[in-house]
Amino acid sequence: MISVQLILLIIFGLAAIWFGWRVFMTSSMVRSAFSLLGSMVAIGILFLVMEAEFLGVLQIMMMGTEMSIMAIFMMMFMMDPGGLGNMDMSHQKNISIVAGIVVTAFVAGVAFTTDWGIFADQVQEPHEQNRLLGMEILKRSMMIFETAGVTILTGMIASIAVAISIKNDAKK
Amino acid sequence: MTPLLNGLMITLLFLSGVYLVAVLERWSLTGHVIWGGPIRSFLLLFAREEIKTRKHDKVFFETAPILFIGVILLTISILPFGRDSVIINLGTGALFINAALVYVMVALMMIGWATNGVYAMVGGWRALAQLIAYSMPVVMVLTATVMRAESMFLIDIVESQQSLWNILFQPVGFILFYISALAITFLPPFDLPVAKGELAGGVWADLTGARKLLFRLGRLTLVLTLSVAVVVLYLGGWMGPWLPEFVWTFLKTLVVAASFFAIGRFMPRIRHDHLLEFNWKYGVPLALYNIFQVGVVLLL
Repeated sequence: MISVQLILLIIFGLAAIWFGWRVFMTSSMVRSAFSLLGSMVAIGILFLVMEAEFLGVLQIMMMGTEMSIMAIFMMMFMMDPGGLGNMDMSHQKNISIVAGIVVTAFVAGVAFTTDWGIFADQVQEPHEQNRLLGMEILKRSMMIFETAGVTILTGMIASIAVAISIKNDAKK
Repeated sequence: MTPLLNGLMITLLFLSGVYLVAVLERWSLTGHVIWGGPIRSFLLLFAREEIKTRKHDKVFFETAPILFIGVILLTISILPFGRDSVIINLGTGALFINAALVYVMVALMMIGWATNGVYAMVGGWRALAQLIAYSMPVVMVLTATVMRAESMFLIDIVESQQSLWNILFQPVGFILFYISALAITFLPPFDLPVAKGELAGGVWADLTGARKLLFRLGRLTLVLTLSVAVVVLYLGGWMGPWLPEFVWTFLKTLVVAASFFAIGRFMPRIRHDHLLEFNWKYGVPLALYNIFQVGVVLLL
């Protein structure tokens, strides 16, 4: 059963993989970050194709900011950010190839052998999905989300506190 | 009115809107209203030779202008000009505005990196710093408008303002969104990425010809888009007596756009660290207060 949806899924899935591969095949940090952004946007489009509108828009929005911030940090902390020194981002090639094949085989095995149950033949309207998602987050999953949120906030504050240099040298 | 005629009217109004915004921009820079100015600079940039910098990043250099203007056109397509005059009525419209406009920054960063010049690169990173400053408040104030409408459809958000416009219902949110809109369009008090005088044009410093034209046109469209967004979210959208719906949207949009440029003409450029400090120390708490206030009023 080949539909437009399936064709789009395949195209954007391949695009996500291709961009993901480009991340490691370039020597410029900014190109690498934007390749990852391309991969993430392709995944966001996959959500949109699968009619999960909120998730798709959220993924595309978050990744735009996050990958740009990653780009500036990679610029700041890498020794060769512009890629002028022909740096190679891939390393431990043999182990990587073996790990890649094993993981791919495992994931494919899981995908094909799992009993996925009955597929939904129709999806609810986007606004109804939004409402249900809100209900889920504020009822059953509230504890999980609140815990995760507070943990992340604590982590952010802690990392900033650790990163600030102590400026009491003048007093000594 | 037939849908075709309606669509044609909206396109015409939007094109003339971009033209009027171009005239306004010129006024904000020179203090003179020159009606022929936009056409003259369009022809000038269109015919000018394109000079490319040495060792520019080819892929980004070609992608950035298209990405820039593309995301702005995507944003326009979801904004309603009237009850029936919206191209795509998205179920997540309010979130989509922010999602699309993030890529304005990505395009600026891309072109800043791609031109392989110092001024352009600094301008590109400044665009990122500016986004980090305004992105949190802008999402939070959008949330507050969604809370009142209990829907992310932009049409529902306009209709929720039937009794009282959001500018009066949530004034704190309006002020924060207005400031953020100025920062998103990188207009004068927040024109850090393209700062004339200190960065010699920033991300646009090394662009000539058609590429610069695309960016200039994109920015004018961006100003108009953000003005429509302010109108839709806070100024009651198409609501108004006597005149047809889209005329009201258009008039309100022009007033907002004119106010953007007027502020730019009389304000000094803000420093990026001051912008970050203001938004994170005051903007975010104010946006949280706004959500709290709207929530309490809605529950009472």
